[in-house]
Amino acid sequence: MPSVIRQRLWAALLVVASIVWASPVSAEEPVGTLGTVGSDTMAGLMLRWGERLARQHPGMRLQLQASGSASAPPALTAGTTLVGPMSRPMAEDEKAMFERRYGYPPRALVVARDALVVVVHRHNPLRSLSRPDLDAIFSDGRRCGAGDSIERWSSLIEGGIEGRIAPHGRNAVSGTHELFRREALCDGAFRPEVSEHPGSAAVVAAVASDPRAIGYAGLNHLTPGVHPVALRDADGALHRPEPAAVRRGDYPFARDLRLYVNLPPGESLPGGERAFVDLVLSPEGQSIVEELGFVALPREVLERQRRRLGLEALDS
Amino acid sequence: MQHTPSSPPLRRHFRQTRDRLATALITAGGIGVIAAVMAIGVFLAVEVVPLFWSSTDTPRINLETLWLPQDYEGHRTPVHRWQPAMPEEGGESRFGMLPLVWGTLEAAAWALVIAVPLALGAAAHSALFMSRRLRARLKPTLELMEAMPGVVVGFVAGLVLAPWLDVHLALGMTLLIILPPGLLLAGGLWARLGAGLRRRLPMGWAALWLLPWLLLLWGLSSWLAPLLEAWWFDGDLRAWLEVSLGLDYANRNAIIVGMAMGFAVMPSIYALAEDALSGVPKSLVEGAEALGATRWQTLWKVVLPAAGPGVLSAVMIGAGRAVGETMIVLMASGNTALMTASPLDGLRSMAASIAIELPEAAPGGTHYRLLLLAALLLFVFTFCVNTLAEVVRSRLRRRYHRMGGAS
Repeated sequence: MPSVIRQRLWAALLVVASIVWASPVSAEEPVGTLGTVGSDTMAGLMLRWGERLARQHPGMRLQLQASGSASAPPALTAGTTLVGPMSRPMAEDEKAMFERRYGYPPRALVVARDALVVVVHRHNPLRSLSRPDLDAIFSDGRRCGAGDSIERWSSLIEGGIEGRIAPHGRNAVSGTHELFRREALCDGAFRPEVSEHPGSAAVVAAVASDPRAIGYAGLNHLTPGVHPVALRDADGALHRPEPAAVRRGDYPFARDLRLYVNLPPGESLPGGERAFVDLVLSPEGQSIVEELGFVALPREVLERQRRRLGLEALDS
Repeated sequence: MQHTPSSPPLRRHFRQTRDRLATALITAGGIGVIAAVMAIGVFLAVEVVPLFWSSTDTPRINLETLWLPQDYEGHRTPVHRWQPAMPEEGGESRFGMLPLVWGTLEAAAWALVIAVPLALGAAAHSALFMSRRLRARLKPTLELMEAMPGVVVGFVAGLVLAPWLDVHLALGMTLLIILPPGLLLAGGLWARLGAGLRRRLPMGWAALWLLPWLLLLWGLSSWLAPLLEAWWFDGDLRAWLEVSLGLDYANRNAIIVGMAMGFAVMPSIYALAEDALSGVPKSLVEGAEALGATRWQTLWKVVLPAAGPGVLSAVMIGAGRAVGETMIVLMASGNTALMTASPLDGLRSMAASIAIELPEAAPGGTHYRLLLLAALLLFVFTFCVNTLAEVVRSRLRRRYHRMGGAS
C-alpha cells in the first residue's frame, strides 16, 4: 500500500510545488508565492500546474497544502488562501460560513473532470453491471430498487467465477466514497462488509490481488491488474468509463474538480491568481489534466469560464 | 547531607543551589507530564459532552443509539451499524459504536492469543534455561523487534502476508495443525538424545535444536497441504469452509491482524515478563534446587508463583498496546465495521477509525465528537490497564525486595 504512505505525506506535509527563484522580472510579471489549501485528489494536478506556472512566470511559485477537500473552505474563509481546490462541491454550510465573513459567495471554477470506475480483477469475466445490481452488491438498504443484496458471484454471472463477492472501496468522508454513495447507492449506505482503504490506489491494488473482489476508484488510478466494468442502463445501453464519454457527460459517475476562489463580485483576480487560473483554463493546462489521467474540459466550457473571469479568449 | 567542613561556603552554596534547581526542574517536569496527561483526558471529555446535550438535533445521539442495535432502513431486525458521515440531505447517519469496540477488542484478543504463549515461553526459557551467551544475543534482538514501526509491520501484513495466505490458505492451516505438536515432539526427542550428543549440545543451546526441525516441519507441511486439501476438503478449502462451517474467508481478516499485532506486542510482553522472571531472588531458586527440585519444578512451583504478578502486568501492558495500535490494524484489517465472532472476517478498530476519519471530519460536528468519544474510550482503557499493570509491578518489586532482604 505505498499509496497510503504517499497520501499521508500529501496530507501531512506542506508540499512546495516548485522553487524557482526569480530572475529579474518586468514590472507586469506576477511575482510571489501562491498558497493553496485543499483536495488531495487534486494534489498531483496542482503540483504540475504549479511547475508549469513557474516555468511561464519565473517569479511565481505555488505552495500546496493537500490535506483534503474539507480543509479548503475554512482556509478560504480565514483568508489564508485565495484558491482552494476541491474534489466535491462546497456544502451549503461551508458556503454560508464564507458568506458571513465576506458578504459574497466564493466563486467556483470547474477545472477538470474525474470519473469513478467500477473495477474487477483482470481474470474476472464480468464486463457490465446494471445499476440496481451494483447497488445490491455495495449497499445496505438497496435504495436503487434491487430486491435482495447480491453476495455471491453465482447470482451475478453464469460460470467463470465462484464464491463470495469481496467488495472494496474508499474510506468514509472521502470525496470518492461520497460520490459513489450518492450516485451508485442512490444516497443509501454501504454494507459494513465493504473493505475501506485510505486511497484509490490501495483499492485498485486490493482488487488486483483477489479474483473475487470488486471495487471502485478514480479513473486515473486504473492499472493493468484490474478491468473496468461498464454500466448498463434500464434499456440495455452500456456506459463505458472512457474519457470521451465522461467529457460528453454520458458516464453517470462523473464529478467536476473545482477551484474555489475568493473573488469579490465585479473585481478581477490579483496578478498571481490570475496567471494561475489563466494557465489552468488553457489548452496547455488541460493537457496536464489528460496526462494525469483525468478528463479535460470541452473547449466551450473553458471559453465560458474565461469570459466570466475577464481573461482573454483562447486563440484558435 | 553532611558536608565536609573544609569545603568553602561559596562552593557549598553553589552546590546546594544547583541541587535545588535540579530538584525543582525534575519536579516541574513530572508535574507537567501528569498535567498533560490529565489535560488530554479533560480535553476529550469536554469535546465529547456536547454530543449528549444537543440531543434535540436531527442526528440523535444518546446511549441507546450508540450502544444498542437500531432499526435502520432496509433491515427487518435491529442491527449495529457505524456509518457516521452521512451528509444532511441524503441518508441517515448511524452511530453504533459497538462494532468498533468489538473490532478493537477482537484484534487485541487475537494478538494476545498469538503473542502471550510465545512471549511467555520465550521469557521463561531465556530467564531460566538459556545459556548466558545466547541470552545476551537474543534479548537485545527481541527488544529490537519492539522498535519496528507499526507502519512497517502493517505494510508487511497487509501486502505480503495477506496475499500469501490468500493463495496458500491450505498450507497456512496445515502449519497451524502440524507446527505446535511437531515442535513439542522435537523437544521431547531432545530429552532422549544420546549422552554424547547431549554433551555437545548443552541445555542452554537447546533452542538451536529446534531450528532444523522447524525447516523440516515446514517442508512436510507444504508436501502435505495439497494432499490434505484434496482428501478432506474436496480440493478447495475455501469453498469447504464456506459450505460446511459458514465461514467466509476475507482477504484481510482478524487472524492476519492478530499475527501482525502479536508480532508487535510480543517484544514488550517478553521483555517485561523476562525481567519479572529473572528478577526472582536467586535465594529462592537456589533453595529449591538445593532441595532437589528439577529446573522444571523450580519454574512451575517457585519462580512462576513468585513472578506471577509481574507476568500478569506484562500481559496487561501488551493488551494496552494492542488496543491502542493503529497502523497495523488500519493496513491489515480491511476496516470493515463488522460484528462477527469469525476470525476469518475483517474488523475495524477505534484507533484505525480515528486515523482514517478524523482528518476529514468537520471540527465540532457530530462525527468529529463521536471520533473523540472513541479516543476517550481508548484513553480511559489504556490508562486503566497501564496504571493497574504499574501498580502490580511496583508491588512485585517490593515483594522481591523483602524476599531478597530476608535471605
